[in-house]
Amino acid sequence: MGLALMAPAFFAPAFVGPAMAQDAAVERGAAVAAERNCGACHGERGVSATPSIPSLAGQQGEFVTLQLVMFREGLRDVPPMMTATEGLTDTQLEDLGAYFASLPHGVPPDRARRNVGAFNNGAALANRLRCGVCHLPNLTGQAQVPRIAGQREDFLAATLKAYRDSQRHGTDTQMNAAVHGLTDAQIDAIAHYVAQR
Amino acid sequence: MTSQLVLRSALAGALSLAFALPSLAQQPAPASPPAASPPAWAQGRSADQANSPLAPHAPRLTATPVDRIPVGAIRLPQGFRAELWASGMPGARMMARGEDGTVYVGTRAIGRVYAVKDEGGTRTPRVLAQRLDNPNGVAVRDGSLYVIAINRVLRYDNIAQNPNAEPVELTQAFNLPTETHHGWKFVAFGPDGKLYMNIGVPCNVCTFDENRHALIVRFNPDGSGREVMGQGVRNSVGFDWRPGTNVLYASNNARDWAGNDTPEDTLHRLARAGEHHGFPYCSGAAWQDPGHTGRKCSEFPAPVALLGPHTAPLGMRFYNGTMFPEAYRGRAFVARHGSWNRDAKTGFDVVTVALNEDGSQGTVEPFLTGLLDSGDNSFKGRPTDVLVMPDGSMLVSDEQNGAIYRITYQR
Repeated sequence: MGLALMAPAFFAPAFVGPAMAQDAAVERGAAVAAERNCGACHGERGVSATPSIPSLAGQQGEFVTLQLVMFREGLRDVPPMMTATEGLTDTQLEDLGAYFASLPHGVPPDRARRNVGAFNNGAALANRLRCGVCHLPNLTGQAQVPRIAGQREDFLAATLKAYRDSQRHGTDTQMNAAVHGLTDAQIDAIAHYVAQR
Repeated sequence: MTSQLVLRSALAGALSLAFALPSLAQQPAPASPPAASPPAWAQGRSADQANSPLAPHAPRLTATPVDRIPVGAIRLPQGFRAELWASGMPGARMMARGEDGTVYVGTRAIGRVYAVKDEGGTRTPRVLAQRLDNPNGVAVRDGSLYVIAINRVLRYDNIAQNPNAEPVELTQAFNLPTETHHGWKFVAFGPDGKLYMNIGVPCNVCTFDENRHALIVRFNPDGSGREVMGQGVRNSVGFDWRPGTNVLYASNNARDWAGNDTPEDTLHRLARAGEHHGFPYCSGAAWQDPGHTGRKCSEFPAPVALLGPHTAPLGMRFYNGTMFPEAYRGRAFVARHGSWNRDAKTGFDVVTVALNEDGSQGTVEPFLTGLLDSGDNSFKGRPTDVLVMPDGSMLVSDEQNGAIYRITYQR
């Protein structure tokens, strides 16, 4: 599985100008990530083994940067992240986005076994809520819309509940509306399904 | 009258619900609780558009390096020139100029208000306020800066002499609605010294209290004396008074998900205080909303100009300077932020509207173009507001690049 996911990197086309600039951003981002010790909670290669802490490997770079801006600006109230982003420049936040986007996505080492009933319930709900329109059918996201496939299940469930209860919003409020009125059980089923994708 | 109408329709709704209940009760209970409501911007989306990939564009909340700001792509009529006036202000939107020449710049998602002043030919912006919820509205009067966020109204007194002044909290006095969607404000002081602002609809299209939303209202500067100056204006994020007339004109964003070409966004003339301008019943070019047929287009004043479908006309001001040629004087300049709810993108420019003598009709003409690439359906920038400077030049803010351009004319 890990090999299959990494394989495309070996067949990447030869680098050209913009790609080289992107490489430089990834390299700078790696240095900032090391300096701020992101790996202690999010995993050394961005795959989190820590309950309630999201994996960032293979995340959409634009999403990562926007969330980092919101932490730094005090617009998302997560104290450890507000400390971690303090004093970082816009370029450093973009570099961190490029770095985490460049890491190969992986599922958390402690991912639970699939519960077929919960998975099917979650799949039906996700289909009805049209998660795949913005997050794309394979749930890998686009631009400011995050990759959610293979994310930690505990993090997904907590995040969806925070959206539902207006404890969190993004650069817009679309997710608050999308999950409005869901029960805890429904959210748990969606989280299980998405984590298993 | 209108409140009676609202009451009546609420009653009708309750009655129809009462009639609907028995038939519902006969059906088997749904397998799962009701579907989540769609995001406000997606309300009104028809079944055949349910899987459309169209969605509002992502904001950019980090500074665009100067060498990547697309000032070189800007095209203007002969004799006009664009230069980069200021940058490094992610999310820069609405502009207001203080008496000392400082330009205050509001934002949305990034929650900041910037201040930028020309000092010996260089302009270094600073963050004047932060951690606000969509502080889009900025206005200056009698030395005080007013900042209007969704959840706050703040006044910074003697801002020029005291740039780090702690604001006076006016939130309770204004008592604005708290809905987030279309809750960001455009604000400006009128010739009457009152503070005018929009109150948009908290949805794409819906049934709502027409005395509470889709309004242009004015207040005394202390938040007292609220008066409705225009009803049925879905969301206006730019307005100005025609020079020499004291008549208010407002840009307006029409609803989404009703097709690529309908309804058109508009420019309205608020000739009579409190007049209803059509939403949600009638929009654009006498386009009757099929979901809101309770009132007809003939009941409302026609817009002064059609500004194109989904183009998102925002900041709008009359040109009252003298640097631009005679033909441009007195025209309205409208920044069109650019479409998202349209397959082929449109807008991402500044147009002018030349009014006829009585001000009842306008002719639209392109002015600032070049930021939209129709070839690959992409955009380089999003003009958001325009501001006429004392020397007759014009500032244009570009939210996507956190930049302000300056437009000058030389024969």
